[in-house]
Order: sequence, then C-alpha cells, then structure tokens
Amino acid sequence: MIENIRHLARKWLEAKEVDAIFGLKEQDGYIAPHLFTDASELDNLTISTEYRLCYTCRPLKEDILSLMQGKEPDTRIGIVARGCEERALIELAKRNQLDLDKVKIMGIACTLEEAKECKCEKPYPSNPIIGERVEGVSEDEDVNTLLNKSLPERLEFWRHELSKCIKCYGCRNVCPMCFCKDCKMEQEVFCKTGWLPPEIPMFLFIRWYHISERCIGCGQCEKACPVDIPLLTLFKLLRRDVKDLFDYEAGMDAEQEAPLLTTLDEMPIKEEVPSGV
Amino acid sequence: MAEFEPKILAFCCNWCSYAGADLAGVSRFQYPPNIRIIRVMCSGRVEPEFVVKALSSGADGVLVLGCHIGDCHYMYGNHRTKKRMAILERILGYLGIDPRRMRLEWVSAAEGARFAEVVTEFTEQIKSLGPNPLKEVRA
Amino acid sequence: MEYKNVLTTCPYCGAGCNFYLQVLNGELVGVLPCKSHTVSQGKLCIKGWNASEFVTSKERLTRPLIKQNGSLIEASWDEALTTIAKKLKEYKEIDPNSIAVLSSAKCTNEENYLMMKFARAVLGTNNVDHCARLCHASTVVGLVQSFGSGAMTNSIRELENADCILIIGSNTAEQHPLIARYILRATEKGAKLIVVDPRAITLTQFADYHLRQRPGTDVAVFNGFMNVILANGLEDKKFIEERTEGFEELKETVKNYAPEHVEKITGIPKDKLVAAAMTFAKAECASIVYSMGITQHTTGVDNVSSSANLAMLTGNVGKPSTGVNPLRGQNNVQGACDLGALPNVYSGYQSVTDEKIRAKFENAWKAKLPENPGLTVVEMMNEAANGNVKAMYIMGENPMISDPDINHVREGLETLEFLVVQDIFLSETAQLADVVLPAASYAEKEGTFTSTERSVQMVRKATEPPGESKADWEIICDLAKAISSKEFEYKSPAEIMDEIASLTPIYGGMSYERLQRGGLQWPCPSKEHPGTPYLHKEKFSRGKGKFFGIEFKEPVELPDEEYPFILTTGRIMFHFHTGTMTRKTDLLNKEVPTGYVEIAPKDAEKLGLADGELVSVQTRRGKIETKALITKRVSEGLIFIPFHFAECAANVLTNPALDPKAKIPEYKVCAAKIEKIKG
Repeated sequence: MIENIRHLARKWLEAKEVDAIFGLKEQDGYIAPHLFTDASELDNLTISTEYRLCYTCRPLKEDILSLMQGKEPDTRIGIVARGCEERALIELAKRNQLDLDKVKIMGIACTLEEAKECKCEKPYPSNPIIGERVEGVSEDEDVNTLLNKSLPERLEFWRHELSKCIKCYGCRNVCPMCFCKDCKMEQEVFCKTGWLPPEIPMFLFIRWYHISERCIGCGQCEKACPVDIPLLTLFKLLRRDVKDLFDYEAGMDAEQEAPLLTTLDEMPIKEEVPSGV
Repeated sequence: MAEFEPKILAFCCNWCSYAGADLAGVSRFQYPPNIRIIRVMCSGRVEPEFVVKALSSGADGVLVLGCHIGDCHYMYGNHRTKKRMAILERILGYLGIDPRRMRLEWVSAAEGARFAEVVTEFTEQIKSLGPNPLKEVRA
Repeated sequence: MEYKNVLTTCPYCGAGCNFYLQVLNGELVGVLPCKSHTVSQGKLCIKGWNASEFVTSKERLTRPLIKQNGSLIEASWDEALTTIAKKLKEYKEIDPNSIAVLSSAKCTNEENYLMMKFARAVLGTNNVDHCARLCHASTVVGLVQSFGSGAMTNSIRELENADCILIIGSNTAEQHPLIARYILRATEKGAKLIVVDPRAITLTQFADYHLRQRPGTDVAVFNGFMNVILANGLEDKKFIEERTEGFEELKETVKNYAPEHVEKITGIPKDKLVAAAMTFAKAECASIVYSMGITQHTTGVDNVSSSANLAMLTGNVGKPSTGVNPLRGQNNVQGACDLGALPNVYSGYQSVTDEKIRAKFENAWKAKLPENPGLTVVEMMNEAANGNVKAMYIMGENPMISDPDINHVREGLETLEFLVVQDIFLSETAQLADVVLPAASYAEKEGTFTSTERSVQMVRKATEPPGESKADWEIICDLAKAISSKEFEYKSPAEIMDEIASLTPIYGGMSYERLQRGGLQWPCPSKEHPGTPYLHKEKFSRGKGKFFGIEFKEPVELPDEEYPFILTTGRIMFHFHTGTMTRKTDLLNKEVPTGYVEIAPKDAEKLGLADGELVSVQTRRGKIETKALITKRVSEGLIFIPFHFAECAANVLTNPALDPKAKIPEYKVCAAKIEKIKG
C-alpha cells in the first residue's frame, strides 16, 4: 500500500498537479508530519493511523494548514487523507477556514483494525484512491452504556469523569473543527480560571455544544485527553441527533449548509424527535 | 421540611416576550413569584452556555421566551434559538440533567395571559421535578 | 515553503513527555503531541501544549550584556568572554574555592557534564551545585543510604498496574499531570489510593483514604504505618530476612509509634491510619510516590529513608509496579544529578574523595582535581554574603526566586564581587549580574534530558537561537578555551555523550545512535544493555537494603503567638517554578495572572477577610502582599502560597534552615502571620 501512495505522490509532484504533499515522514528513527516539496524526499513518506489530523491541530490559535494558506495562498497542497481527515477539510472549507480549491485529497481507506481502534462509523473518504472500504463500527458499547443509565446515574457518571479534567485544552487543540481565535473555554465569565477541576459541566459543555453539528467523529479529543474522559461518547450521540433532527452529517456534502448557520426555512427541524432521556 | 420553592430564571426577548410579561403585570394576571427575568434584545442572544450557567449557579429551571416564528424583530433570530435549544435539550439529557428544566416558548407582546400561564405551568413542573441536582455537583 | 516537525522532550517537568515542535519556514509555530511516546502517548498538559510560545518571546536575550555604571549594556561575545576569563583567572589564582558555580537542571546532560568539568578541571573547585539541592537532595542522600541508589526505583507506566498507591507529599495531578494519568488509570482498574497531604489536593477526590497530617510530621506517619503492619504480622518476612539488614533497629523504634500516639503528633484519626496501613500492607504490589512534600524539610533525609523503610518492610521493592518513586520536578534535574553537577560527586555519583575515581577523572580531563567536597547552594549564598565566595557563575537558574529567604540571597548576590549569569531571559537573578550571557533554549540545541524514571531522551534542535545567543555547551567550551583549557574541543553534543559514557558506568551504554531510536533507562552499562525499567531486582545497589530506626523530630520553626499560621509553599498546574517560561505564555497568564495565599474559611472569617482581598503575609524573614483565596483546600491554621510569582514571592518568607545531611531547606514549614492591609 505504501508503495502505491509514494508512487502517486511522486506522480502528482512531478506532474505539478500539486506544489507540495502533506504527509508523514520517517526521519531519524521516528515518524513526524512533514511537507514534502521534493520528489526525492518521498522515499521516506509513510502512513500510520497514529498521526491523523496533524494539520488541523491548533495549540497556538492557528493550525498549520491555515498558516500555510495564509502565507502562500497560491500553493496547491496534496494531502494524504483518511475519511475523517477529508470530512474535516470539507467542514472547515464550509466555514471559510480553508481554500479547498488549493487542496487535492489522496484518499486512503482505513483497515478494519484501524476502524475498530477509533470506533469509527465511516472509515473511508468519499473516493478512496488507496485501500478498500470497510464497514464502520455501528454499535458503540460506551454509547449504549450511557444510554442505559438513568438521569441521576448519568449525572454521577459525568461528575466523576469531569472532575478528573486537568484543563490541558488538549481536546480543543486537536479538534479539527475548533478554530475560534477567542475561545469561550478560556473566558473567566464562563469558567473560573486557574481552578481545577474546571467548572463542571460548563467547561466541556462549551465544546460539546459548539462542535455538536460539526463533529466529524474522528475521536481525536478522546485520544488527546490525559485522563481518559469519554468525550467521543457524547459527540457520537450528538451526531446521531443532528442526523435525526436536521438530516445532516458533518463533512459528507461540501454543498450542504450547516444547520445552526441556517434558518428554519432553509433547513427545518424534523418534527418531535424524542430527546435522549 | 419547608416546601421547595424553585428559583427560575427567564430570558425574555425585548420585543415580544418581555412586553408580554409587562402586559401580564399591568393586567394583574397572577403568576408565581419564583421567576427572575433577564431581558435580552432577542431570544437569539441566548447562548446555551447561559442556560447551563444558570443551572450550575443555583437555578432550578430556565425559561427562554421569544417571538413566534415569523415575528422576530430581527427576522431569523428565533430560528436560531429553536435549533440551538433542540441540541441543548439533548445534551442536558445526556449529562443527566432533566431536559424539562429548560423550556423554550413563544410569547408575543399581546399575550399577557399566556405569559402568566407559561410561567405558572413551568413553575409547577419544576416543583414536581424537585431541586436541581447540579447544585450538589458544584464543588 | 518548508514545514517539518522535530521530536523533542518537554522542558517543563520530570515526566519527560515528548512532542513535536512544528517549524514553518524556520519559525517555531506550535507543538504537536506524539502518540507513540511511552509516557505521554499523544497527550500533554497545558504547559506542554504551550511550550513553544516562550521560545519565540520578544524578551529573549540576544546579545551578551556587561554592567557598566549600574546598567547592563550590550557587548560582543569577545568582550564578554574576555572579561569573564580574566576575572575568573584572578580569583582562581588567589583561591579557587572563592568561586562557586551553579549548574542548571533545565540544561542538557551534556551541558551539566561540561559545567562540572569546567568547575573542577578549569577553575579547580568542587563548589558546583544546582537546584536539586532545593528539591530532591533528600532523595539523593536518603535513598542512597537505604538502597544504594538515589533514583526512582520503578517506571512511570508501571503505576497503572499497582494494587495500591501511596502518594505522600506530591500534588501529582498538578505537578506531574501525565504521571497522575497512570495513577488514575490504576484506580479505575480497582487499585486503592492513599493520599497523605495536609491539603485537599486534586487527587484526594479519587482517593480511598485522605490522611491530612500536620505539616512536617511525615516520619510519624510512616512509623505509624509500620507499627500497624508489624502489630498485625503483615510484614514481608521473607523479603526482610533475605534482602535487608537493620530490621531489629527499625522494630525497636517503630514500636513506640502506636496509632494513638501518631494521632497526637500528626492529627490523623487513628482508625483511618490503621485502615490505610492495612490496605497498603495487604496489597500485592504497592507503590510509594512522593515529592517535595517530604523532601523539603530539615528532616528530609529522615522522611525519605522512612518511605524506604516502609517499602522494604512490605517487600515492595525490586519488582514491577512497586517501589519508592520520587517525582523529580525539573525536566533534567535527574540528569544534572546523574552527571555530577554536585559538590561531592562526579558523574554517575562517583565520589570526589575516592582516590581511584579522582585519578580516573584526572587522567581523562588532564588536570589536577580538588580533593574536598564543595559548597551546596544555600551554603554558597551564605558564604557569598560573608565574603568568602567572591565570584559566581550561574547557568539557567534563578535563585532570586527559587532559594529560601530571598532577602538574604539578594544580600549574598549583591555582595559578590563578580557575578556571571547565563540564561534565556533576563531573570531576576540575571538583573543582578555583572555579565549576562544569552543562551539557547531547549528548542534551539541538541542534547539529552533524563526524566524522573531515569529515561535518557533526545532533545533535538528545531530552530536557530535568536540573535547572537548560543547553546550553553558552546558557551562553556568557549569560556574554557578563553581560560586556555585545551580539553573542551567538542564538535557536537554526541561527542560529549561519548565522553560521558566512557567515564560513567550507569551511562556506559548511552550513545546518540541508540538514543535516536528512543529513550534508554539507566543503569545502562554497555552498548548491548537494553536499559533498566526497575531497580534492585535481585539485590539492592548497596547489596542489602538498610533499615533505619528513625525518630520523629519537629520542624525547626513552629507557629507561636506572634506567628500563628503554618506557611507551606508549593506549585500549581498553570505555572512552573520561577515562572521564567510560563509567565511569558499568554494562556497560562490568563489562567493565573498572579499569586495568592490559600486560607481556610474559618481563619478568613476570624480575620475578616474577603475572597480576593489584598493581605500581607509576614514571617521572620520578610513580608509580601498578595491576594487571599478562601478555600477548604487548606485546613485551619495552614496557609499555602505558590512560589512562582516574583511580585509576591513566597520565598521572601521561607526558612533557610537546612537538613543536616542533605542541606535542603525547609520550604514546607515555617511560622507566618496574616494581616489585613489597612487603608
């Protein structure tokens, strides 16, 4: 598989279909995200599920892809992208965070093991050039466990989980859909600053609500959490709700407008879907 | 043990529901005193975080009152509110907070009686739900 | 357009997380977590996430500075180095021991090695020390006397599989968040957690037992535990017989610490003590985790040896998920100690007084080496104040905020005739210097750091240092050459590591070739050795583990009528040590913009204080003004001040009383009073 990817990447660079390729490089005994500008470097191009969505990671207010497009708007970048990565790019472009015209996607489908590890529902991009599509994970144990709890049990569950939070902002930093330069989570008025654990449930509620309709189900938030808070579980439930309420799935259709950015006339709520009580 | 008197916070939009509340007062329609009103220019101003903050800060119930669909002074503000509250309701449920502690209603400037009715009914509902368990969660 | 990621080790705490530094067109733009790293596994704490911001701060030192007429003026490297070389040569001629050197727990292993080589071979003095003196000196002395080796016995990840974890004197969730991760995972798996801490720290929410002891009574707590264990016959008799010595002495001492007596000393209810002790003893694999809370006392060595006693009594040493685990604070304080930046040992803890060892180093370094151990940090400041130490060379340390009794430190540093400070920012200490040398940060040089679990990891260069600043190892070599030494010709840090490996048995198998592929835990004596996850497997480093019968002693300064509160100091999640790096980071400043004093609600009520009110806190050393933070985290009679904030520096107040063996100050206990600020 890796040979096919390298071959295709080389073709794209040499035919000047793109100016650079964003992928993973093997260097000095470790793997790291890299921008390949020369075909000769491509011998070290590799893939690994461990490093996904590196280009939308945002510790200091702006992710690398936006920075690159900001500095050199005419550079065309080829991205070796999995299903979740493609959905992230589409959803970000919808919100004017990226110029999708300058991005060419080399879609890779994930294997069954990789899909299971991420609990992914759609482990493939729209047009996988490399790899075979596999069935995603439809039943999530954690989601079912939460739904089977009563309201007081759920409150106790989240009280326990959220009191572990150490306010690293990791979930926000890795989330491809979190791009606000002035983040609400940092504001004193919502959550007292410098205090651990941060206000329960407000701190994480802010993200759960804001990302609800844009969540692409990549699970990076949960993977970045040092104290293993089951963030993805709630997002999966919200993705389901957004689908039921608005017939909308983040990242699937570049033309479809997002529900919370539209009026009821443009995208109505489907009547009386029961809430998850 | 004294009867539980809930604290209810209501966000009322300036053009419709706040005027409706005013009318209820002027017309002497009775409603329970548990409610505290915060006036916003449009129900679309109400961020879901406000509701959660209210519930975390001691409110037992939160009402969000706006104009009827099609009557919003800012055209589509209440469209946003409706969609947001739909999602908020679900998150509250998943977190273990009874979504019935939050309610979205449309009350026009002429509906003084309706305002009193909505508040009365909501207060009864919250009384039956009991004190907000989120109060215990706050360290 | 050029974009690359460079894998490096975090410059903050001793957990040793790795992350990528993102470099776009030669400029540092951020950090990416590294999923494949054994400890951090793709996660970071808030400091690690923002570890690239201070590197690109506009306040970085870019040129050498020389003091003229009371102000620091920019100068060239030539001028600066010539000035320093001339002065140091003068002092060396008269008396090498009038010079003192502070090496850096933030600098790389190679740099620490060179610094101590410089002090010994070029300046001719053993007066070399660093901030480990202020934090884990008790560990280095205590564990050496009990086990023979003064480092964390097990590895961080092993904590996840322990059946019982005893945390004493460590606010792990705030100080070592990625280590607390494994402790939390252990509790989710059913492990029992015992937290012994006077404050209700974050982890107490998840603890089965929270024992709130009076500060400074840790020996009594440990002896109480052991008394209960022996009374119930739960000691590991086989282990004691085969692997230890001195048990009778321990038994004699410990029999006087029945739970009722311990309750009188510590304030811990006796039933709780008994229950916690039994839980610890009954666990299959029990691990002790500790940090400053027990080391920073005049009885620091006693406290550490007591923890070793408890571990040996229950057979919890020498197997996975057990052991005595000191959590080292700085990113490379373990390395700085390992590489001999200490007044009494060379690299690898080889004694300076041992003739054969000294001969080995004299041979390798081609210089006559001083025979007697040198001064420790606090002693250096005392000697500076009374004029015996006339010159100091400080690298990457900020004693003006980190040492106890800052007013006395200022006096010492100002009395010095000549002070050189080498740093990345113009710290409070650098402001007092005669010459300031601009150094490169961790992102701008190559080297290695050793984490608290003895793991030596690569630090890789991601960008060029700003302006004319240079890597510390280059500066030391240049300075050595300026003082006409020929033994400092190194083309790269890799060469320095090769020299280290040749002289240091525990680092014998270290080389950049091996380290590029991943961290190696010492002891690693040869090139084929895979490194050592846990120590003392078949035998202790000293042969048999030694029990010590340790009696409880009170801290030196207890509260009285005039100063009724116990003041304890410590750290918080959002800032790090003297704040030189974290206070240049936006998000961290937003979270906690300035210092405060934690005070219990009842005490605040008695004094009539409101939350956030400015108060003055005073001890016999000095006075500061800071905000009151009313919280139940501290018990009545106790107040807590984090030491990161220069404008309300906790160390103005702390007591420089030292542990007699380790010479570590008693930061954790002194007597204070609080007053409302009138007007």
